[in-house]
Amino acid sequence: MIQKLSDIQKDNLTKRNSALHSTRMEGAFREIRDMDYEYSADIGLAYASPVRGVWNIVHIATLVPQGHQIFVCPTSCLRGVVLTTAELGRMDKMSTITVGEENILEGDMEEMLQHGVERVIRELPEKPRMMMIFTSCIHHFMAVNYQRVYNILAKEFPEIDFVDCYMDPIMRRTNPVVPSLWRQMHRVLRYTEAKNPKQVTLLGNCFPHEGAYCDLVSLLEANGIKVLEACNCKDYDEYLTMAESTCNFLFHKSGIAAAKDLEIRQKQPWYRMRPGYAYDEYDEDLRKAASILGIPEPKQSFLDSEKARTEACIRETQSLLEDTPVSIDYTAVDCPLELAQFLLDHGFNVESVMVDNFTESEDVFQKLRNTKPTLRIYETYGWNIRQMQRVHAGKILCIGQKSAYFMDSDYFVNEVENAGMYGYRGLRRLMDLISDAFRNPKPMRDLVQVKGWECECGE
Amino acid sequence: MNAVSDYQTHVFTSTYTADVSGVCSALYELGGMTVIHDPSGCNSTYSTHDEPRWFDTDSLMFVSGLDEMTAVLGDDNVLIDDVTHAVRDLKPRFVTLCSGSIPHIIAFDCKGVAHLLEKRTGVPMLPVTTTGNRSYVAGVGAALTEWVKRFADSLESPYRVSSSGGPDCSANTLEGAAGPESFSVNLLGVTPLDFSINGNVDAMRKVFEDAGIPVNCCAAMGESFDSLRHIFRASVNVVVSSCGRRLARYMEQTAGIPYVEGTPIGAYGAARLPKLAKEAYEKKRASLEEDSHGALDGTSGSLRMLLAKKKGDSEGICLWKGNPAHERWDVPDGQILIIGEEVFAQSLAAAINQLTPDCRHGLRAFAVWPDVDHGFPEDVLAELIRKSRYIIGDPLYRTIPHDSKQNTFVDFPHEAYSGRIFRDRIPVFIGKNYDVAELL
Repeated sequence: MIQKLSDIQKDNLTKRNSALHSTRMEGAFREIRDMDYEYSADIGLAYASPVRGVWNIVHIATLVPQGHQIFVCPTSCLRGVVLTTAELGRMDKMSTITVGEENILEGDMEEMLQHGVERVIRELPEKPRMMMIFTSCIHHFMAVNYQRVYNILAKEFPEIDFVDCYMDPIMRRTNPVVPSLWRQMHRVLRYTEAKNPKQVTLLGNCFPHEGAYCDLVSLLEANGIKVLEACNCKDYDEYLTMAESTCNFLFHKSGIAAAKDLEIRQKQPWYRMRPGYAYDEYDEDLRKAASILGIPEPKQSFLDSEKARTEACIRETQSLLEDTPVSIDYTAVDCPLELAQFLLDHGFNVESVMVDNFTESEDVFQKLRNTKPTLRIYETYGWNIRQMQRVHAGKILCIGQKSAYFMDSDYFVNEVENAGMYGYRGLRRLMDLISDAFRNPKPMRDLVQVKGWECECGE
Repeated sequence: MNAVSDYQTHVFTSTYTADVSGVCSALYELGGMTVIHDPSGCNSTYSTHDEPRWFDTDSLMFVSGLDEMTAVLGDDNVLIDDVTHAVRDLKPRFVTLCSGSIPHIIAFDCKGVAHLLEKRTGVPMLPVTTTGNRSYVAGVGAALTEWVKRFADSLESPYRVSSSGGPDCSANTLEGAAGPESFSVNLLGVTPLDFSINGNVDAMRKVFEDAGIPVNCCAAMGESFDSLRHIFRASVNVVVSSCGRRLARYMEQTAGIPYVEGTPIGAYGAARLPKLAKEAYEKKRASLEEDSHGALDGTSGSLRMLLAKKKGDSEGICLWKGNPAHERWDVPDGQILIIGEEVFAQSLAAAINQLTPDCRHGLRAFAVWPDVDHGFPEDVLAELIRKSRYIIGDPLYRTIPHDSKQNTFVDFPHEAYSGRIFRDRIPVFIGKNYDVAELL
């Protein structure tokens, strides 16, 4: 039976309103005991805080060595991506094609796209090896046949790899832009049957993972295995050798789409190292990684000693902080609820978590609710956060830029997306950063506004 | 394919602030709430790159977060419900609704939705029709005009028309509501996008106050909702950026207030612009006296005066030719090229051309500015840069390939072009203390 359009709309609105009422904050925060697991701040009007540390698609695409980005969008969409690039000081990696009113009316989006890309290639002082062409929301609605354009361009410029990329936030609920980009960025890898048992790829990392703070990389390095990731390839030829990796590892969910794609296209297995705070999971994942690669598993005695060192480090940090309130936000770590639970279990006074929806398992949520029912959950995205007074009575230690901003605290760990930390080494590093943040205030106002963590303004 | 559409491809250069950010910027300090109807990103772009007040002052700027399903279904009820919830919680004095490119192509009825919202919430709604395709000049102009239409009282004009439709003689003689002693000006088109937050706006007020002319309103920085409502009390409007031109035209048409255009840059601008405003006032006064004898209505006769005059006048400012493609600017080789917002660029050129020939190396200054719809055609601009001796413009224009021995760049950062990147280097260029000669 065909449903009437008006009924679909009504149904859509009813569901949405129900979600809005069940999840929205009455004020700036709610206690976790009053919340449902289904909570989402991405309903209703959205606010953008001045906190800018999380990397966006421009930062990520800039990682590709010898790559060039072309964004094809209306002016309002171009402004953000162009200035992100300008702030990076990498205008040499970006060009734009503005979609105008007449393109909408005349339906000549394909010609405009083709001619624009041809001109960019013609005028760039050096031809890029890979060209990422970002189309936008408007192209979906205009049913633009951009694949046809890319086919023409690929024939015209066979020395350049053209990749269709997307900046289409209107699709964010079904096809978020960041996972989509990680997948598309790796589509250029040519299939090879010959895999290198001494090489792996880390997918979906904005920041390099180094052995000092990452147990997996430490294990790989100890066994002479080369680690490639988008952020550490010296040139495009090396980037392409990712096709030879014997396995793809990832830490963040945003890399899963790429991993699944490469499993099909490149016949590369993949494994996600769980980025939480459970020692058993660390041990299990490291053993699994070793087994996939055919290298010796870490010995139990080694893992036990790592655990003991980590526990000692945590105790030291806790005794430094004592009862100082702690706030955690989702931009700093992938698993903020799990980190809150872990810190509470170790005697820290976690007061609040800033998170716009619960992406961890319901078990984690329920356990945390039982452990500290009065834990405050702040949303950072919905309009209600504008009711918050950005202040905290007394010193508060914040883990992440958003919590630091909303709590107006200079005592904060300045990191995003786990900052390359994983496992026991990562946890010890996190404790060091917490201790340092507790002792040494930072210029929060300046640091959180830098677009892209660790990206310098490229004047 | 459109023959003049090459303005669309920008191989090296940035883009100007869009209309939706212009709307937010114009209304930022007036106690309202602004909603950009768009999927996502517009508000973070605005708050990151286009709004220097964002960290330190609270303002209610939101994006609707339009998603695929809602757009496909054309379901405006989602927006109406979301705005209603937010209005109930945040209690803004008024709400502005504008939209980006997707609502534009699905024919979102901004005025209709605003009307429904006003009925539902009881809070005044201000629909500002934007497309996401135009520059901030269009957005600021539309927002200020719509705000004034809705909240200001044109009957406060010193040149008001009587209820019978004829001139109100007591006012028209200028001895009533606005006698000579109450001569004042409005500054129109003032946002951080053109003037930043480094003191230029205070300096602009001071230019007029030092000349004995009170500033009635500064649209819209340093004003409140209540103070801006009296914008019609001014005798003359001063359009200090092209962002203010639309409002000036509206106020001239509805209330007979004349306007002058110019930015008071350096000693020349600071001296000349107040004089020009007084001149406009005197001319208006004379025309009203004639009207009162000739039975013309008090709003007749457009009076627009420019600080920078057109080519052929003694100040020798060059306007581009070739609208809308901007493919031909009449700029000779080896001169001084000024790139920037229209009124600013022309005023700076005028100020430079008033210097002695020695101070400007015997050269003349020529202004070019981006089109509201199309921006700059990059290839044409590149050619102008390559053939100019000096280029005064935003440092991001340095990315255009040029010969640094032949073409000397003089950095003049513009927030509406490079955002916050060079904010610390934006000079206080308004007022007599700014020495234009030091640019060269």
